[in-house]
Amino acid sequence: MIFLRRQLPLLITMITGLVMAAQYYVPHPASEQLLTTVTKWLQIIGGFALVLGITSLFHVHASKIRRKEAGWAYSLVLYVGMLGTIIVGLWNNGKESLDGALTSFGWVYSYTLVPLQGTMFAILAFFIASAAYRSFRARSREAAVLLVAAVVVMMGRVPLGEYILPLSGDLSSWILNVLNASVRRAILIGVSLGAVALSFKIIFGVERSYLGGGKE
Amino acid sequence: MTFAERMLRIDRRIIFLVIGLCTLVPLLFPVGLPIKISSEVRGVYDYIEGLPEGSVFLLSLDFDPASKPELYPQAIAILRHAFKKNLRVVAMTLWVSGTGLADQILTQTAKEAGKENGRDYVFLGWSPGGSAVILNMGQDLYNAFPADYGGKATKGLPVLAGVQNLRDVTYAVSLGAGNPGVEAWYVFGKDKYKFELGGGCTGVIAPGLYPLLRSGQINGLIGGLRGAAEYETLIGQKGKAVAGMDAQSATHLAIIVLVAICNIFYFSLRRQQRRQDGIGS
Amino acid sequence: MLHRLLILAVVICLPALLPPMTAAQTMPQRLRVIDTPSDGGGSLTVLWAPSATDSPTAQYQILVHEGGLPQDPTAWKVVAEFPANTRYVREGKSAWWTRSGDPNDHLFLIKNGKGLEVKSGQLYAVTVASVSGRERLIAPPIVASAEPNWMNWNQVNNLVLALMFGMIVFYAINLAKRKDIFLRRIPGLDAVDEAIGRATELGKPVLYMTGAHDMNDPSTIAAAVILGRVAKKAASYETELLVPHREPITMAVCQEITKQAYMEAGKPDLFKDDANFFITSDQFSYTAAVDGIMLRRKPAANFFMGSYFAESLLLTETGASTGAIQIAGTDSDHQLPFFVTTCDYTLIGEELYAASAYLSKEPIQIGTLRGQDLGKAFILSVIGIGTLLATAAVLTGNGWAQPLLDLFKDLK
Repeated sequence: MIFLRRQLPLLITMITGLVMAAQYYVPHPASEQLLTTVTKWLQIIGGFALVLGITSLFHVHASKIRRKEAGWAYSLVLYVGMLGTIIVGLWNNGKESLDGALTSFGWVYSYTLVPLQGTMFAILAFFIASAAYRSFRARSREAAVLLVAAVVVMMGRVPLGEYILPLSGDLSSWILNVLNASVRRAILIGVSLGAVALSFKIIFGVERSYLGGGKE
Repeated sequence: MTFAERMLRIDRRIIFLVIGLCTLVPLLFPVGLPIKISSEVRGVYDYIEGLPEGSVFLLSLDFDPASKPELYPQAIAILRHAFKKNLRVVAMTLWVSGTGLADQILTQTAKEAGKENGRDYVFLGWSPGGSAVILNMGQDLYNAFPADYGGKATKGLPVLAGVQNLRDVTYAVSLGAGNPGVEAWYVFGKDKYKFELGGGCTGVIAPGLYPLLRSGQINGLIGGLRGAAEYETLIGQKGKAVAGMDAQSATHLAIIVLVAICNIFYFSLRRQQRRQDGIGS
Repeated sequence: MLHRLLILAVVICLPALLPPMTAAQTMPQRLRVIDTPSDGGGSLTVLWAPSATDSPTAQYQILVHEGGLPQDPTAWKVVAEFPANTRYVREGKSAWWTRSGDPNDHLFLIKNGKGLEVKSGQLYAVTVASVSGRERLIAPPIVASAEPNWMNWNQVNNLVLALMFGMIVFYAINLAKRKDIFLRRIPGLDAVDEAIGRATELGKPVLYMTGAHDMNDPSTIAAAVILGRVAKKAASYETELLVPHREPITMAVCQEITKQAYMEAGKPDLFKDDANFFITSDQFSYTAAVDGIMLRRKPAANFFMGSYFAESLLLTETGASTGAIQIAGTDSDHQLPFFVTTCDYTLIGEELYAASAYLSKEPIQIGTLRGQDLGKAFILSVIGIGTLLATAAVLTGNGWAQPLLDLFKDLK
């Protein structure tokens, strides 16, 4: 049992990790074919994993409905919404439109998903303002520098700002192209090194926390 | 509680109301200030402008309805430009929830330009796998998309004549709202299959793509609603983006004023507290 | 006398008055046709020596015939034509250690294109013609075939540096097992205990999120590792833990990690399967659901670990409105401004990866951090020294440092 839960997954991880790392340096069509096959398998496994997720979702909300916990009606709405969309989607073969006309699946997409997602994203504008009001205070020298840079970029990115302060356009472009790009590169290098180190540890079995279970 | 303290703890809903008005009023009463064109956006525009007629242009609409306000105007403007230049447009998406929107955008602009599906453009739709789809397309486009979104076989379509894989694409632009997006198209697409790549994205992720722009990994970047407005100005067809710039201007100004007010009250409160501490000691 | 002087002057000046005589057109010399190295096949490399007659007005043509030498001279296909003073080896994109030929030789890559499909294993006759006006001189053709290669030698610098970095990491891990390595304080991680303690005092749950990406992503792995520590602490304080997920596989892994954490804390009976639950993969649907959980359950501590996108501000601002203590850790640099303004503590970039080392104090984790730091120090040194060398090369007009700089150029 230990072999199946620990040794075998570690062995699979090591072999697959080394093969896929080597694949990057091999231009032969066989190597490209291997990559294509592995990514297809990844898609298939991902599909099965969705079953796992949906089962969990159903289970959580089914027990909420059964025990009539607070807000159980919303769980019922979730059931109706999910099953309804699946049925309608299968009925229309996943197509939102047919010969220019909106299908029922397309109706669900255009009149529920699109406005709901748009609404959620639109809330960000309000939250940015309230977060900025709460936290953009020049508590220290560094905070003051951040504040000035933020104001310059906010002015420079809109026509009204450039009209009021013509220099803000060029200044914000310089901040984005020079200061911002160099700092992003630094973070990117650090993060990439971290990712490479973590990958090495996982491939060689040094890092095993992703398997769950305790230390041996 | 002093006035300064009350102002610093102001109800969020007042701020929301201010922002709401700053967004709504300019949309109802537009001003139309001039828009300066940046070199980032010009990079994409100039490249498409320089493409000969009949070149294969791949547009990947990698966003969902949540990013519609920023990326929809970009998509419309780029497609109008591509159709005006009589390029062969191959559109697709890597985001399943954006498929319907992408289809609608392409159909609308193609109809405006009098273009025919299959001959002048094709919408490949969505295929599962994210970056794996890019790799598949790099090997064999017809393997990745055996049929287009309408179910027609892709092999034999006039618009895809001479196109076997991504190496045969002249220029690709990814309009991305996250992952997979512009970076995935570079890492799994341009880096391996050597086609020219441009990018479009939401305003919030644009600063993160500047390293790719500065190093030449992408030849242009259309960032957010401002980028879309610049592109609309370049093609001479002002649309939703230019209209939205007035609202964005007012909102930015409102946030700057709010932040300034907040800092004034903050410093005033700090001075009061220092005075009280001085009196106390 | 004057007459003779005049004739002499004309004779002396005549060469200057006459149009310059062009050198006689020469046939391309030292023609070589080889399989393009370090590729997947489907490409041939054509090399030939430069000529004194190379000029913008003269042209080179590349002629190809599929299947060996043609019987009929008109069967040659012209696949490219370009000015004779272009296309040199030194302008090529391949690394200097894989370049074929002299840097001043001409180079052309025959690849699949309009009218020609280069198949691996198929013989092709290739030649180069130099064209000037009506004159056309063709070099003796060479027959070659393209083959796929098993190693991309252009990326050997990438391989060597990756292996070097790997060795540094393992060396650092061995070092960490033998001696103590200093880790600077990370305020956000010191606050983890405080956050869970606060939740326990208030009798409210702890909310933990692992981000938008799946288990492929290092940030999600780091988030899962930190979840183990947080779950162990929550178990020992008997505080409820809520972990909503966007990815089913991440949920399954985190369930195992949480279960193990409860067992290690000696509280296996307190473990609930439903502590880790799947909501949806859709970005804003997940956000709406988690916001609902925050507003209804009012957790006292919110942890945002992993990769995030536009939903970050929606989550953190809602959490802030409920008065929860919020700790974020992300490598999504585009969301950092939102986390920094709305959370009490933020772990930036690699601090997220360092978090598991910081919390566990395990030599393996700490050693990895030290290895990463050594790697960064190496990159910083290369950037510094490289900048100086490149500047010196430009100022002195000497290209001796270029091969060294090219070793690090275009690392991918």
